[in-house]
Amino acid sequence: MTRPLRHSLLLILLAGYTAFAAGPFVWVAIMSLRTTTEIMADHFALPTIIHWDKFPTAWFNSNYNVYFKNSAMIVLSAVVILTIVGAMAAHCLARYRFRMNRVIYFILFSTIIFPPQITIISLFQILVQYGLYDTRVGLIFVYVAIQLPLTIYILESFFARIPADLFDAARIDGYSEWEIFWRVSFPIAIPAIATTVILNFILLWNEFLYAVVLITDDANRTLPLGIQRFMGDQLEDTGMIATGLMIAIIPVIIVYAFFSEKLIQGMTAGAVK
Amino acid sequence: MAVVTLDQLTKIYDRGHAPAADAVSLEIRHGEFMVLLGPSGCGKTTTLRMIAGLESISSGTLSIDGQVVNTVPAKDRDIAMVFQSYALYPHMSVKNNLAFGLRRRAVPRDEIERRVSSVAATLGLSQLLDRRPHALSGGQRQRVALGRAIVRDPKVFLFDEPLSNLDAALRVSTRGEISALHRRLGATMIYVTHDQVEAMTMGSRICIMNGGKIVQVGEPLEVYRHPANTFVASFLGNPPMNLLRAAVTDDADGRGLRIGAWRIVIPAERMPALSVGTEVIFGIRPEKLSGTPQPGATSIDGEVVQVDPLGAETIFAARIPDVDKPLFARVGPDVPIKVGERRQLGVDLSAAHVFDAQGNALHP
Amino acid sequence: MALATSATGDDGLRRPWGAIVSFLLPALTIYVAFTAYPVLRTLWNSAHKVLPRREIFVGLENYTALARDEIFWRAVRNTITWASISPAAEVLVALLLALALYAKVPGARLFRIAWFTPVLMSYIVVGILWVWIYNFDWGPVNVALRALGLGGLAKAWLGNPSTALASLIFVTTWMWIGFNMVVLLAAIHSLPKEVIEAADLDNCGWGQKLVYVILPLIWPTVLNLLVLSFIGKMKIFDLVWITTKGGPLWSTETVSTYVYKRAFEWSTFDLGYPSTIAAIWFVIVLAIVLTLTFALRQRSKLEY
Repeated sequence: MTRPLRHSLLLILLAGYTAFAAGPFVWVAIMSLRTTTEIMADHFALPTIIHWDKFPTAWFNSNYNVYFKNSAMIVLSAVVILTIVGAMAAHCLARYRFRMNRVIYFILFSTIIFPPQITIISLFQILVQYGLYDTRVGLIFVYVAIQLPLTIYILESFFARIPADLFDAARIDGYSEWEIFWRVSFPIAIPAIATTVILNFILLWNEFLYAVVLITDDANRTLPLGIQRFMGDQLEDTGMIATGLMIAIIPVIIVYAFFSEKLIQGMTAGAVK
Repeated sequence: MAVVTLDQLTKIYDRGHAPAADAVSLEIRHGEFMVLLGPSGCGKTTTLRMIAGLESISSGTLSIDGQVVNTVPAKDRDIAMVFQSYALYPHMSVKNNLAFGLRRRAVPRDEIERRVSSVAATLGLSQLLDRRPHALSGGQRQRVALGRAIVRDPKVFLFDEPLSNLDAALRVSTRGEISALHRRLGATMIYVTHDQVEAMTMGSRICIMNGGKIVQVGEPLEVYRHPANTFVASFLGNPPMNLLRAAVTDDADGRGLRIGAWRIVIPAERMPALSVGTEVIFGIRPEKLSGTPQPGATSIDGEVVQVDPLGAETIFAARIPDVDKPLFARVGPDVPIKVGERRQLGVDLSAAHVFDAQGNALHP
Repeated sequence: MALATSATGDDGLRRPWGAIVSFLLPALTIYVAFTAYPVLRTLWNSAHKVLPRREIFVGLENYTALARDEIFWRAVRNTITWASISPAAEVLVALLLALALYAKVPGARLFRIAWFTPVLMSYIVVGILWVWIYNFDWGPVNVALRALGLGGLAKAWLGNPSTALASLIFVTTWMWIGFNMVVLLAAIHSLPKEVIEAADLDNCGWGQKLVYVILPLIWPTVLNLLVLSFIGKMKIFDLVWITTKGGPLWSTETVSTYVYKRAFEWSTFDLGYPSTIAAIWFVIVLAIVLTLTFALRQRSKLEY
């Protein structure tokens, strides 16, 4: 087989796979702009009229604005807290030598393997006990807790690579330990911090299990929860469900469009051995 | 400008092992350029870091200008340090790198501006003030590291092998810049290196260390001419001093040494008082051996085994009878020497060194 | 300037304990409050009947009940099947795709971006999409089958107990191929070029180069991906919940859905029993992961 022929065949196969991988999303994007009636008539046709108004309808009439705002508020708060708390812990574990250092690192890191069931039942009890059940604040704390190990893992290896001389120079220049963290470590680690921010954003934006257990009131629901409820209530309204899905997908697509490299690298870092 | 006094300074990392710095006592005078020289692991960097305050002191006293500073934190010791890896803040411009230390110390804004621009001008950095370190060459980064120390106007400058990361040509020019800086500022500077060329050319005094201890302190040429032991003797000088086992003799011509089959008479002013037969080590530097002996001067026959014509000079090695190590000699470039030929080597015995069997210098 | 850190701990400077503690405190507090304590509490629950207003100590009663719980063991079988098949399929297809891209097919960058997309989507979104794709009447799968004249094969994929689990496994495979492909491609690219060039000089054809040079060298990464994928599938909940909720007839019941149902849906109100399930599952997962890591690490060391 000649090279160009082999390449063309490969290309066809790869294009086929691309349709397989991305096709469903294109389909839902198209459906989001058609009414359910149109969809039921022909599921795979392109829109004849583009119903942009479905989006405002979903937004306002189906409470998607509430869900979106809840998700945004919860995820952004959690990410901010994660970044600061995680960076502080990572900096400390990477730079200071003390006997408990590796033990603490291992304890924090090993929780990545834990199946969520081991914590979710008692988290439910605990949040009820402290009046944080069905609150956005309660969920924020839980979200920080579940993403902390990964954040610290990524940041610790980055902080550890900063040359020690920089810290010595800063000490001689008169900076206190906290200032050294805030003015030397943190700024230098911005690339790694950006990675954790994007990663945490995506993972928490899509998170479902903890949200479904710890939130019940419709006013507090996050987007994945809202979609699930909508799916349950309006199973037949394919068109509106599709629009709702798009509302959930679009922020992720935007982040992906701008940060695809960072995102891919961040999510796959540590998997290459 | 300050006097730095180290009194029995010791650093122990691990109770099981030998100290990294062992009872180091040294007085560095006002405006002196003191070089701490030695092979890696000799304790010179540990000592420097103790002076800086980056290492705690296990025992002993460190004083700056008479004031004991053992427990004073690094930032309050009024010292500035130039690191081997430059340690520039990568996220700051050159200007901010220079100003960083000053901002911390409540120095007024306009004073900071003034100092930064004057130092930048002196070091030729004025055009680079807005650049980040990654956009600078190695030599430029080194100058920024220097500038950062100068701008602080400290009592003591500390240098930790600052030239190791530079290529050969840059090393030579930066060496000159640091020496010029010292002359201009007249400040007390303590400089750590393993390179004897830097030590010989830059130091007002050099302090040779080995195994955590100080071996010898003195002016460079003094130490070169009068090494306290064979370690110092072979550390300075390239190629190093020839060191051969010998035994004391005494016969009609006078007291001297027998080296293999070779007998030489050492001038009385260089020959220590020892009984006949004592084992000693004889030392003579390569430049004190010549390829064409003067009539009447001591000479020895040898067979040339290696010739390195370096262009500006020629270094050759000759084997002398019954001695296992060859003698290295250094001669002018126009002396014709070939491997295999027998040659008479002239020996300038006024520069002969005698060390005891343990390697310590012996004096008449 | 590397300094030895001794067993006794002196690394040169008086350690700034104030700073160390204040840096670690927020993270450790959150960890203890929302991870460590809950784990302990779940374990404590497992030895009790945990009812709305009181808790009764029952010792190992929950555990013995668990041993006889048919549904639990069905869920365990389902989950482990899932966690065994999906990783193998994901990694295999991903490997083929990575090799295809490595062959410098034009447009590699775009393919990579497109194929990674499913990874970013919430399981909820993916779940709903595939419910539609698997739809008996108008889903693309059955439509395509009918168009090809294979209408007899068309099924209610998610509604049929014999096909439901396999259909869901197919979904996770679809989702994660992109992730594995990206990692494998990076691993192949990070191989020292000289080794591959040496193979070329030895007159290796593509197939031989693949089997004898590339595969052995990226094996640690492959193993790593398998373990990661395995861990991920053991935790799976969202996808099942939005598609089949464990049905039909327990065919897609996973441990996570079963725990959720016993804790929050069934009217027994006892949180002790589901805690027992969680505790046992925790031990099982940890044991398998540790065994896998240990066994595979030994193997990959022997390869070299």
